[in-house]
Amino acid sequence: MKELLTVKKLTARIAVAIVLLVLVMCVCSLVGTQRISLSAVFAGGHSQQTVNTDYEIFVHVRLPRILLACVVGAALAYAGVVFQGLLRNPLADPYILGISSGAGLGVMIAVMSGYSWTLWGRSPITVFAFAGALLTVWLVWLIGRFTGRANMTGLLLAGVVVNAFFSAVIMFLTSVVKSDQLHSTIFWLMGNMTEESFFVLWVCGGCVLAGIVVLFCISGRLNLISLGEDEATSMGVNTVRTRTIAFAAAAGITAIAVSLSGLIGFVGLIVPHGVRLIFGPDHRQLLPLSAITGSAMLVIADTFARVVVAPAQLPVGVVTAITGGPIFLLLLTRYARKSGLLNK
Amino acid sequence: MNIIKVDGLSFGYSEVEVLRKLSFEVESSSFLAVAGPNGAGKSTLIRLLCRELRPKSGSIRIDSAAIESYTARDLARKVAVVRQEFVPVFGFTVTEVVAMARSPYLDTFAFESRTDREIIAEALEMTETAKFASRTLSQLSGGERQRVFIARALAQDTPVILLDEPTSFLDLKHQVGIYDLLKKMQLEKGKTIVVVTHDINLAGRYCDQCLLIGGADGEKNCFIGKPEDVLAPERIERIFDVKVAVGKAGRKKIIIPLGKFADSVTDTDADLTSTE
Amino acid sequence: MRKWWWLVLIIFCWVGVGFALLAADAGNSRRMTTSSTGADAIVSMAPNLTEILFALGLGDNIVGVSTGSDYPPEAAKKKTIGNFWQPDIEAIIAVRPDLVITLGFSRQKNLAERLNRIDYRTLSVNIDKVDDLFAAIEKIGRATGARKAAGQLATDIREKLDKLSILMAGRKKVRLLYVIQREPLRVAGRDTFVNEMIELAGGENAIGHTVQKYPPIGAEQVIACGADVIIEPAMGTADLAQQRRSAVEFYSRFANVPAVINSRVYIIEPDTVSRLGPRLYEAIETIARCIRPELFNE
Repeated sequence: MKELLTVKKLTARIAVAIVLLVLVMCVCSLVGTQRISLSAVFAGGHSQQTVNTDYEIFVHVRLPRILLACVVGAALAYAGVVFQGLLRNPLADPYILGISSGAGLGVMIAVMSGYSWTLWGRSPITVFAFAGALLTVWLVWLIGRFTGRANMTGLLLAGVVVNAFFSAVIMFLTSVVKSDQLHSTIFWLMGNMTEESFFVLWVCGGCVLAGIVVLFCISGRLNLISLGEDEATSMGVNTVRTRTIAFAAAAGITAIAVSLSGLIGFVGLIVPHGVRLIFGPDHRQLLPLSAITGSAMLVIADTFARVVVAPAQLPVGVVTAITGGPIFLLLLTRYARKSGLLNK
Repeated sequence: MNIIKVDGLSFGYSEVEVLRKLSFEVESSSFLAVAGPNGAGKSTLIRLLCRELRPKSGSIRIDSAAIESYTARDLARKVAVVRQEFVPVFGFTVTEVVAMARSPYLDTFAFESRTDREIIAEALEMTETAKFASRTLSQLSGGERQRVFIARALAQDTPVILLDEPTSFLDLKHQVGIYDLLKKMQLEKGKTIVVVTHDINLAGRYCDQCLLIGGADGEKNCFIGKPEDVLAPERIERIFDVKVAVGKAGRKKIIIPLGKFADSVTDTDADLTSTE
Repeated sequence: MRKWWWLVLIIFCWVGVGFALLAADAGNSRRMTTSSTGADAIVSMAPNLTEILFALGLGDNIVGVSTGSDYPPEAAKKKTIGNFWQPDIEAIIAVRPDLVITLGFSRQKNLAERLNRIDYRTLSVNIDKVDDLFAAIEKIGRATGARKAAGQLATDIREKLDKLSILMAGRKKVRLLYVIQREPLRVAGRDTFVNEMIELAGGENAIGHTVQKYPPIGAEQVIACGADVIIEPAMGTADLAQQRRSAVEFYSRFANVPAVINSRVYIIEPDTVSRLGPRLYEAIETIARCIRPELFNE
């Protein structure tokens, strides 16, 4: 039976994907507004009197950004797959349940409070964004539960309502806030990669990885849930518990991604679609491959953002949005042709 | 041995009562057909038996244990359900859909073993769906999809299979084919089959017992017994509120509903011979 | 049971590496030990900062400027390392600075934080008001070892300002509307450095207190403000006379405003007035010439 997934096939595909990702990371780490050479990088940090700028740039600017792009890209794509499966809706993305507007509101509040306190030497925007995202998801979950425990439509509607309301609040605050605060909020909202310390990358990367592993363990049950709610129950899945775990884990990794780098759109929507179109909807395969593809996509997008209008730096969210639209259209036409919706 | 025991089952959707104090037993390895007019509660009964709904009062016992005492997984190893076919949102192939039925037997990392694959292959063979094993469900006709869902229930390898109008979209060949298959499952593998159907003639020819639910308001009734006893023409006329004509095909009776514009047929005019 | 042990072990290792990284970050302090006097490779992240550095005689020490640093002319020849809003951190590192000077608003403060994290010496100064300017000059002088030059510069500017205020003393304040955008009409409010320049030039902002610094205002307010003088900074390099003609035409719709009646609509060169820098006196004088032209016709 050659259509069914086997451990061997899956491991092989994951291995190839990881190799490609590492390749992409290596190539992109050598691209930037400054030309650097690998040999200079390997010469080390401060061997002579003068500073080795190639090493500095590589280790302190490029590498952290690329690693961050990997973590955020993987988190967003992964969460996108999970939400699309849970909500049985191919148009779902990780922000559909209020995370985006909640994080945005958190950031606005942080910016407006004229923050002067720091957490580990960094501004509280990250913390406020994270808190805002999680609180909003929890709010949406509560509202959704009022419409019935097993009702995904209720959850979706609650998400739409909360998103709309918080976006309105953000718009209101935008119109009264001071101009440089406004600028920094908008800049954050567009999605950016910055150089984080390796400690932060390690902590956040670890949390995201934990979420990824948890969700992978329930990927079989996700298959069933994405088929149908009743079907899943009669095939032995405790849908309420599975949905709660999946929801919480996916929301958690999205909140981490958003607090680190702002609202980067399209990665969570397109990558699942693309991977599903090529490899099929089996979540045991879809999840890991989407994570790796998401990482690669964001690394490439960030590289573009860094060099395309040098010396200015585009926010990476702009790049994903601009390239995301046409790619999505392409996927859509391919999908329509595949399922016979277009005239033959 | 009774594999399903229903006692005093009552259920209603908000104020509308659908089932009232329903009690019956289904013997292991038997074939039960459930018939009745629309809205009588046939599909509701199926949903109660697979624990999709909780009864207002009364009890259901599956294999001598209360249905509430099962975990979802364990219940899935006892009871499989075939509902109306649908096209799933995502493009799962036929094989993948049938393979999902093995989920109650897989552990956390959920990869099918060789035994699982053999069971899946067998299920596809028996429902004649192996030839489109790698097509997605959206590429099949309604009838073909229905057979895929039946294959899935077979692959779930449960002692009880509940089916909610499984032949509604199937052509004549496949209608009979599915009933033959279900009968084979009952006789060869000892499965208990519960089928909800509108086709009382077909069901009457295959089932060991028939459960007829229905009745005018204020008179909820259920009749259970051998099909020829339960499906008596006068009772059919009363419960379904329709005139019928009765004929014979071989040894079994055939009941045909009569409408206003059909030719009038009386018992003496009928001269149906079967091709058996 | 075995599974749990593996999990505990993995978490333990993860936490361990985390702490190791934290320690590595903290122990990393190479460049911070540089003496805080003197700086040979300075990067300036804003045009007014560049002007200050040149005014302090440190022009040769500058290795990188943000785009838009066009005064003095030597500044335009320096390497650019990104613009005001979007600094290019790689370019900054590539020029090997030992001091990076930024403004204080959040985007640039964020840049300073990022540079600090990788051990580059930075200095952030707020230049929102005239007092801030003097404080900034002093701070920069201290950080670059040019204290004397800084003091001298500050004194120079103050002297010229004092002379001007003596000239303007006792005269009635002229109501002035400073328009920075026409569609929609936006003016400089009371909480801006432009306002301070106006007041030092002997004028008074025709607009009262507003929430926003550069509020958009409606036609009613223009008519009600009773401005004696309207000033607009020139846009781009188009002919000033041409711009003045189009301005006069535009404001003719507000026929009841004294500035329009007396034909006192002026277009001024924007360089000095748009940034708060060492050419503060020149900026204020430009405005003063519009307010009291008779005082400047030698």
